[in-house]
Amino acid sequence: MRFVNWIVVYGPNYLSGLAWTAIIALAASVGAVVWGGVLLLIRLSGGLWTNLAVETYVQLFRNTPVLLSIYLIYFGFPLIGVVWPAVICGGLALVLQNGAYISEIFRGSVKTIDLVQFDAAKSLGLSAWGTFRKVVLPQVLVYGLPSLGGQVILLLKDTSLLSAISVAELTMNAKLLTEQTGAAYEAFVVVAVLYLLLVVCLELTARFALRAVRWRPRHDAL
Amino acid sequence: MLQLLLIGACYTLGLAVAGIAFGTVLGLLLTPLSFVRCRPLRALYHVYVFFTRGTPLLVLALLIFYGLPALNFSQGPYVAGTIVLTIYSSAFFAEVFRGGVLAIQRTHLESGRSLGLPPLAFLRRIIAPLALRYALPPYVNVCVMMVKASSILSIISVWELTLAAREIIERTLLVFTVLGIAAAFYFLMCFGVDRLGRLAERYLMRRGFVGEHA
Repeated sequence: MRFVNWIVVYGPNYLSGLAWTAIIALAASVGAVVWGGVLLLIRLSGGLWTNLAVETYVQLFRNTPVLLSIYLIYFGFPLIGVVWPAVICGGLALVLQNGAYISEIFRGSVKTIDLVQFDAAKSLGLSAWGTFRKVVLPQVLVYGLPSLGGQVILLLKDTSLLSAISVAELTMNAKLLTEQTGAAYEAFVVVAVLYLLLVVCLELTARFALRAVRWRPRHDAL
Repeated sequence: MLQLLLIGACYTLGLAVAGIAFGTVLGLLLTPLSFVRCRPLRALYHVYVFFTRGTPLLVLALLIFYGLPALNFSQGPYVAGTIVLTIYSSAFFAEVFRGGVLAIQRTHLESGRSLGLPPLAFLRRIIAPLALRYALPPYVNVCVMMVKASSILSIISVWELTLAAREIIERTLLVFTVLGIAAAFYFLMCFGVDRLGRLAERYLMRRGFVGEHA
């Protein structure tokens, strides 16, 4: 009863936060996939040193928390003269962090592409960029689709950390509501349910996408 | 400044270890719940795992941090932080252990059943060693995730490495230096946990490994 009361009175307050969370998550996931693709391209076309650089980058972002990256960009960039709004800083940190994970997903997917296809591409006269665009990229996106879906859900949950640099998204909404009304847990329970709704939407989208590309597990999957 | 960060790193490690320890225990208690015959209990398990894994850790932490005093349980941020990490990790650990049990091949289970062991011995001799070996790599992954997740607790004023770094930054504005050192500490901790996990895997492999890693 208390919850119904709460939702009726404070429901609309959550809408702007929900919209911001959805927008940030969407933009950051697109950015992370693009950045992961760029990292993949660097890895595929580089020599020993660029490979090492990308590997170091990925290990660095895999073993450090997202919050440190967010603080680094939010507090550090103004010191070198780059003053961006908090949303952009947070979004950039999310893109850098998740791009590292996504490039790892892509790297695993590239391994499942049959080597014959690269020979065929070369015999067709495709350049390196052409091979990447026509052979590697479509297959990598399709093979990695389940893992990409999981990573997008993780990204959605990481957007809640942007509330630490006072971005007006869902968790920030809950914090403000709790401070304004003094209610201990109603605000956060509603926010948790809203996040779960977003996660369910993402999972349904991922399932629809898998069906749309007729994804099948590979027979020689490791 | 370096000492402050070092002490913060120790607090982070302590929080993570406490969360992992209690979370493992809770996860071990939860996993059998997913295998009982009673369907509502299985549904309860899935609901718990879905709710705990689906909400961001920050939301869970705020919920427990602000909600515990309402239940007259105000013991301070460290206890609240440990409880949050325990609950969050228990869902992941329960799924990891469940995956480990499900990965056991049917042939092993059938040949084990043909031995006619009592249930406890069956669990001890057949399920536990096999599930342990299958579950170890994702278990180590979750442990690394918990070390990183402890940094989120800094937002609910649990003093550890990230909060220490943030306090120093607010006073000295040496952003890149301080965060670089903090990142190095986290890197060492996560890398260390990963290596420990690989040592454990190798030890278990020497004691007898099952599976098609030929």
